[in-house]
Amino acid sequence: MEKTIKWEKDFDRVLTLARAEKKMVLLDFFNPL
Amino acid sequence: MGAVTYPNERVVEFIKRHMVPIQVLFDSQPLAKNFNIQWTPTVITLDEEGKEHHRTIGFLSPEEFIPSLMLGVAICHFDRERFSEAIAMIEEILKDYPKSDVAPEAVYMRGVALYKSTHSAEPLKEAYKRLQSEYPSSEWAKRAQPYRLL
Repeated sequence: MEKTIKWEKDFDRVLTLARAEKKMVLLDFFNPL
Repeated sequence: MGAVTYPNERVVEFIKRHMVPIQVLFDSQPLAKNFNIQWTPTVITLDEEGKEHHRTIGFLSPEEFIPSLMLGVAICHFDRERFSEAIAMIEEILKDYPKSDVAPEAVYMRGVALYKSTHSAEPLKEAYKRLQSEYPSSEWAKRAQPYRLL
């Protein structure tokens, strides 16, 4: 089992993956500070 | 979130099974403007067309974050009239995370989803009774009060 979340960075790619895998999208806005 | 919640093994597993995760800076455009981001962390559940169905703002522990994501997935199904899928996810919340902050909303949404799929008022009455019994101080118990008259 993977131990970390495999974050995507490209929104259009995420929507394509979500359609293909029939999953929802988790969109996280973060502040690194 | 990055230090405590996202490294959690159960969080990683849930996201892998149910969601495609994307992480962007709070000022990343055009997303920040399109989703009106004013504070972080903001976590939004979207459908595969990019439409928002649920959001949370602020830190959540793994024990609260997982059921929050589950509710987001359930509401996404509900909004798209996939009631059986919504109910199945809600039942998982109530089985695995009955003490979580989202549990009262899950009870409420279970009643509404069952009503929408069966057109019977009984699930709404059951939701009212359960909320009064198990979560009497929640806002969702108040929101369900009209169902006592059904």
